[in-house]
Amino acid sequence: MNARQRILTAIRGSTGAQRPVAVIAAEAAALLGRPEVARPGLAAPELREAFALKAAAVGTTIDHLDRMAEVPAAVRRYLDAQGLPAAVALQPAAALAGLDWGGIATHPDIAPDEAVGVGLAEWGIAEGGSLVIHSGPDNPVLLAFLTLHHVLVLREDRLLPHLEDYALAVQDNPQPRNAILITGPSGTTDIEGSYVRGAHGPGFLHVIMVRDSSDL
Amino acid sequence: MSAAAQPGFKARAAAELSNAALKVAIERTTGNAERKRAAAVAAFPEFDAARERGRAIKDHVIAHLDHYLEMFERNATAAGAKVHWASDDAEARAIVTRICLDADARLVTRAKSMLGEEIGLPHALADAGIERVETDLAEHIIQLAGERPSHIVWPAMHRTREQVADLFKAGHHPPPAADDPGTMVQSARRELRAKFLGADVGISGANFLVADTGATCTVTNEGNAELTTTPPRIHIVTAGIEKIVPSTAHAFALLRLLVRSATGGELTQYTTFHCGPKRPGDADGPEEMHIVLVDNGRTRMLGDEFREMLRCIRCGACMNHCVVYRQIGGHAYGGTYPGPMGAVLTPVLDGLAASRDLPHACTMNGRCAEVCPVGIPIPTLLRGRRWISRLPLAGGWTAYRDLPRPAGRTFMEQYRANQAAKGARR
Repeated sequence: MNARQRILTAIRGSTGAQRPVAVIAAEAAALLGRPEVARPGLAAPELREAFALKAAAVGTTIDHLDRMAEVPAAVRRYLDAQGLPAAVALQPAAALAGLDWGGIATHPDIAPDEAVGVGLAEWGIAEGGSLVIHSGPDNPVLLAFLTLHHVLVLREDRLLPHLEDYALAVQDNPQPRNAILITGPSGTTDIEGSYVRGAHGPGFLHVIMVRDSSDL
Repeated sequence: MSAAAQPGFKARAAAELSNAALKVAIERTTGNAERKRAAAVAAFPEFDAARERGRAIKDHVIAHLDHYLEMFERNATAAGAKVHWASDDAEARAIVTRICLDADARLVTRAKSMLGEEIGLPHALADAGIERVETDLAEHIIQLAGERPSHIVWPAMHRTREQVADLFKAGHHPPPAADDPGTMVQSARRELRAKFLGADVGISGANFLVADTGATCTVTNEGNAELTTTPPRIHIVTAGIEKIVPSTAHAFALLRLLVRSATGGELTQYTTFHCGPKRPGDADGPEEMHIVLVDNGRTRMLGDEFREMLRCIRCGACMNHCVVYRQIGGHAYGGTYPGPMGAVLTPVLDGLAASRDLPHACTMNGRCAEVCPVGIPIPTLLRGRRWISRLPLAGGWTAYRDLPRPAGRTFMEQYRANQAAKGARR
């Protein structure tokens, strides 16, 4: 017997005969029934406000825009406020590449000590102020991790209330290699419990929320 | 090192009790964790309902473990991952080492995984001549110190800031300019960056294995897991078979419990699902993904009185709230897993003979069970272990001393009953 057979045989020796798959599936689904009784409420009635409150609470900074066309100017404001040069690693997503970046030099490659990366969030989740990114041909994972400042553009029509709503939203799509929920800048409490930002990932997470992204 | 190779628990505990610096270091982190957890639970009125749901999800999975493991294997394989099965620690070590050697791997980065510690992966890689770089900050600290973790969430909890500064001054090139935590964290960031990008293989654990997608899920705060699993050509996951959940939504239900119980946060900074290797055309990611499903005593627990322990989601709350752990720290327990959950698990992993004192490293005050996010009755399980020491083979032990009588109720239960009785008399 190989290890796989040994393990499955040992399990069946303890749990008995398998019940019909449909019965197991129904029981699993029932365990998620009435999710509202077992999860926290939102921080505010409106999704955008609830998201912003929770994101700010974990150290994420937020800017609000009306239109996608205003994104490069908002990035410029952030760079100036942080005293950073006008050069960013830009996610090669059509929604970003199509913008007029004016005086900001953008590049697709991410240096090992890249100062700023600008990307597009796939979703925002109001429950905890999380942003979701998916890996893909137009989204390198390392953009979110090698950079010191991570700037994410979040279209407000991509806001979801709760974690389960995200699971529901993507359940019929093909799974990317990585789906990553980002909730605040990288941090550690490994030295005497004191909180330090920028342990390995970005020390700064800045979100640009865009109310109406129909000008994409 | 197994518990058997070390001096007995009582001798270790006595030595640690006289270590004043250790007591200070532990108290700083566990005290903080206890306060933050209490605040997080107070801010989540649905916590009790969430805990009941979490317990039910784990019990459901454990009752249908074969079904979910096969479903996970099917979906992970369809996503392009290779699934391996290991009956015990030796098989798991052999599988991981073989993958590394076949790939001619010289440098391996690793994101913290207690399962990796449990199966002795650090030593196995060293024996195979492969350089291993621990990337979690705490694991980096204890790698420099040549130690094993003393806590499952904060493995370097026993080290003071001054001790960390000494380790970094000797181990970092250039050494950190100052010994405040901020400067030292920056130094580790600099030191490890080239290792992340130069590794041939990245090894992670998994907080969840999602059956209906075949994804593994890591939950971290530093970003080191993604820097470990993305640049190398090969990503290996080692995970216990009890980590299975039916779906992503079930993982989220447990995640709400895990993070609040572990650190007092609501969500960790990074909750990452890894599903197969990079897709064709992807901008980055590994070309191969291997998942090693490890039994190592878990199917045995499924059939005995310790089955409820398979619910454990490794949050560490039981140790943060344990008066014994907070006095002696994690190393005194002698196993991979310290504290109350470790006192239950270590006899399974290292054998009863090597760890028979552990069930007595407990005041039965019941705090561990009260804070457990999946309702594991740890004091009851430890009482079971105490009775085990009366087995005929342990006669040499019971012949010369009285067997400690198990308390019928926990201290906290008795205390509350007494308080209630007093209140009623008023």
